[in-house]
This record gives sequence, structure tokens and C-alpha cells, in this order.
Amino acid sequence: MTLLSDTRYIFIRYLQKLVRTPILLFFSLFQPILFLVLFTQLLSRLSNFPGILPTGVSYLEFAAAGIVMQNAFGSALQSGNSIVADIDSGFLQKMLVTPLSRPAILLGRLSSDAFRVVIQTAIILVLAYALGAHVTTGVIGILLIFFTLAFFGLAWSGISLAIGMKTRSSETVFAIGGVITFPLLFLSPALFPISFLPTWVKDVSMFNPVSYCVTATRALMINGYIWSTILPAWGVIGLVALVTMSATLYQFRKVVS
Amino acid sequence: MSDIIKVENLVEVYSDGTKAVDDISFSVQEGEFFGFLGPNGAGKSTTIKILTTLLRKTSGTVTVAGYDLEKQAADIRKIIGVQSQETTVDGDLTGRENIALQGHFHQMNGDEIKKRVNELLNLVGLEEAADRRGRNYSGGMKKRLDLATALVHKPKILFLDEPTTGLDPQSRAAIWTYLEKLNKEEGITIFLTTQYLEEADKLCKRLSIIDSGKIVASGSPIELKREIGADSIRISLESCQKDSPNAKDLIKTMTGVTEIIDSEECLTVYAKNAGLLIADIVRALDSSDIRIASVTFSSPSLDDVFMKHTGRRIRAEDFVKAPSTMGGRFGGRR
Repeated sequence: MTLLSDTRYIFIRYLQKLVRTPILLFFSLFQPILFLVLFTQLLSRLSNFPGILPTGVSYLEFAAAGIVMQNAFGSALQSGNSIVADIDSGFLQKMLVTPLSRPAILLGRLSSDAFRVVIQTAIILVLAYALGAHVTTGVIGILLIFFTLAFFGLAWSGISLAIGMKTRSSETVFAIGGVITFPLLFLSPALFPISFLPTWVKDVSMFNPVSYCVTATRALMINGYIWSTILPAWGVIGLVALVTMSATLYQFRKVVS
Repeated sequence: MSDIIKVENLVEVYSDGTKAVDDISFSVQEGEFFGFLGPNGAGKSTTIKILTTLLRKTSGTVTVAGYDLEKQAADIRKIIGVQSQETTVDGDLTGRENIALQGHFHQMNGDEIKKRVNELLNLVGLEEAADRRGRNYSGGMKKRLDLATALVHKPKILFLDEPTTGLDPQSRAAIWTYLEKLNKEEGITIFLTTQYLEEADKLCKRLSIIDSGKIVASGSPIELKREIGADSIRISLESCQKDSPNAKDLIKTMTGVTEIIDSEECLTVYAKNAGLLIADIVRALDSSDIRIASVTFSSPSLDDVFMKHTGRRIRAEDFVKAPSTMGGRFGGRR
């Protein structure tokens, strides 16, 4: 089927580009690793105060879920830059004058984004493991974490792609990415337990998709298969994906026609 | 021969109301080397974008290789090769990978691609640089690689949007050689746009001059220049003062001569078919013992043609950077 093989070639192209600009990978991993190694140290004594963190859980173990989430967020929001670059260089047009399947252009990009999130998550989890944070659910749990984060990454890639195609400016993609990422992280239990947060943040975090996703990831890391948090998280991500992918498709059609 | 591209009453109006292409009609025959010559913003790129399915036309009918542009765009994409004005080489991929990727876009199989990539690297002289990344190529190399990527699937028609703009004269000449070879040896129909008079003159068997979205003249470079009328023959004599009255009398009566004036060199003769007349002039002067120091003749250039139809001269963007002898002005290509 041409859609599948076309998607594969686009996927491979983006991976080649990523691997050959290791500096980009380094920078996108730099921040999460900094958080994992340094930020968790700042708050390591949090576990000395009873009632803040779940019993027997170190801050590192607690924050690891938030940090992989932050990483997924960050790399997903860069996705739009790739499409801006392809529009600017004329490479998109070069693809469009061939019989290449149109959806493959998007699918190839999105699958490479998802793949990247999984690889980066794996790197962070390995590092977290070395520092003493274990995933209690084991291999299957790790695969479910990969799935959750990749799915989450796709949903956010959609925003970045839509903005990229609409504005055709990588500066705007970067700026909006920065503007979105941190408020959503801070207004969620990504870095602090929900019980620790002020009431208004708690209230706001109820409407923040990031909250659901991070809670599910955290459940898989420290509590086990708590389906009552995992399944709703997937549902929320699905809703976000529906909205962002519709926007992306709409913009893509405008760019392609 | 049949028309491989047929355009009737093509109009493109942009959303801001600009009429980029204003009711043009033309056709290109199979195997022909056809060109659009015009200044920046004349509507050349817009026309190419429409013909290559990238831009929806406002109105008009277009068929490419017998396929209707609107209904059979997918069929058209299979048989065209396109080199856009921007050089679209992926700098992170090697030359070889760039060509192969384009082969995959055309759904070619692996063995086919491997063979074709080697052929093309050879054609554009990039074998040695094949495994270097595109970003390390010079401007000329990138253009050559871009051309190779457009050829991977052996297209029937090659669309080239200003293929040599911004290149140094040497790289330009190299591209010209490949293009002539492709057209002559492989029979590929080529549709080229250019703002360079020399390029249009040298490569195109037939061309349309386009300005402000309208075709102002069409024909072979020779026909177009012939419309301008007179060629000029400049004659300098060893003793101009003594012999020029006699020389004038001798030349005046020859067929085709329209005017003789005294000029810097001595005499300038305006005539139709000057190329044929030179021998007669030399013979006549020689038999009357008038000694000739030199004879040069020049035919009208495409710039003169453009001038006649638009009242302006074509200004190529980087004319200073890449000087070229003005089309046919020296030596008279006929």
C-alpha cells in the first residue's frame, strides 16, 4: 500500500535529519535531564515532611513522571518547525509535485514525533533508574508509559503543526510553544502533589489535560495499573488530539491545495 | 508532432485581486525545448505552478500529456519532473539520499532507484560528492543535484523555473549542457522559464515573451528577432574617407539593404538577412579595389524584441554578478 510505504520514507527522512543534527536532540533532552538531576535535588528533602508525598516515595520518583511529561511536551511542540522549514525551503512543494500520498506527509511527520518522544522518554527513564527511581509496573508498564506519552505528544504536535502551517514562521512556533508549555505544567500536579497545591491551582488543574496525563503516568510508575486514572487520561488525550488534529488537517489542506 | 502541453485562456487571480496570469494561451509540442522569457513578476512562476498542479487556476483549460489538469492531476504528477526556483535540496541528506528519496516519492523500487541514482550522479557530475551532505554543496552543485532529483523517474516533461538564476557563468554553462543533452538525447520535453536573454536564445527552440501576465510575442528566437527587421553590418575600410562614397554606391543597390549610415567604424549597413549579404559586400568592394579592414555583423537580440513589445528592457536580477554576452549581439547567431 502506497500510504504505508510513503509514510515510511517520510518517517525515515525526519529521523535521519534528527540523528544528523545531534545538537537538537541534546538541547531537547538537556532541560528534562537538568530537572531530573538538579531540580529533584533541590526538593529531595520534601519526603522528610510527612503527608506531602505518598509514603515511601522519594521526590525523584514522584517528579520523574512530570519530567517525562515535560519532555514529551517540549519535543511535540517543536514539530511545527519542521513543517515551516519544509515550506520555506520549497521541499514541501517538491513532495507535492510527485505522486506521493498527501496524508503520508503528515503521518510520516507525526510518527517520527511519536518515535522521538519514546526514545527520549526511554533515555530519561534509564537515567531516572540509575538515580534510584523505578517503574513499579515493569516492562508492560513502561510500554504503557511510552504509549501514553507518544499519544500525548501527537496530540500536542497537532497544535504546533497547525500554528506552523498557519503562520509559516518558526519564531512564532517557538514562542507559542514556550507560552503554552510552562503554564500548563505549573498548573498541573506534574512537579508537586495535588494535595500540596493551592486551591485555585487545584481547581484550574481539573481542566488541564496535562494533569490527567501526568497522573496516569505517575500511577504506572509508582502505584501500579490504576485503570481508573489511566483510561480517563487516554480519553482526555483523545479529545485533545481530535481538536488539534482537526486544526492540523484543516491547515494542511489549505497548504496542499 | 502533437501538443504535449496545451493552455487556453489561462487566468490566475490571487486572493488580493492581483492578476498574475492574464488570459494566456500557448502550446508546447512533444520533444520541444520551450521557454517563457520575462522579467521578475511577469507571471512565469505562477504559470509553472499551475501546470505542475501546485496552484489552482482561476479559469481556462489546461491539458498536460493529454491529461486534464483539474481532473487528472495525479496522472500528471507521475510524468512530470519539476525544478523550482528555490533550490530544494535536503541539506541533512547526502546527494545520493536526496535523489533516492525522490525516487521513493515516485514509488520506484529499490533496485531501480539504485541504478538510476548512479546514472544521474554521473549525468550531473556529482559522483565524487555523492555521499556528502547537501548542505556542504556549493550553489552550483545544489542546482545540479536538484536537477538530478527532478529526473529520477524519467519524466516525459521537465519543468524548470529559472534553473540558473543566481549561478556563476561556469555553473550556468554546465546546466545548459545537461539540459541540451536531455532534450536531444532523451527526447524530454522541456518547459523553462528564464529572465536571461542568452539562456532563452541558446536553449529554446521556441519561446513566449511574457510581461505583466500576458504573452506579448511567441516564436523561435530567430523568428522573433527577424520581426525586428534589420541586422546591422559594420564595415571599416582602410582608407575610409577616400573609399566610403564609392563603397556606399556599391552597397546601396544590393537587395535587402534598407539604410547605410556613416558610423564610428566607417559605415554601418542595415539590412535584412545580413548574413547572406556579407559575402556580396566583400566581393563587390574587393573587385573595386576597396580594401576592407574589418566586417562585423550583429542581429537584433531578444532584448530588442522585448523592447519592441513592452517599451522596456529586461533587467535580470543579478546581471552584474553574472555578466553574459547579450543574446546574439556579438557574432550573430542565426
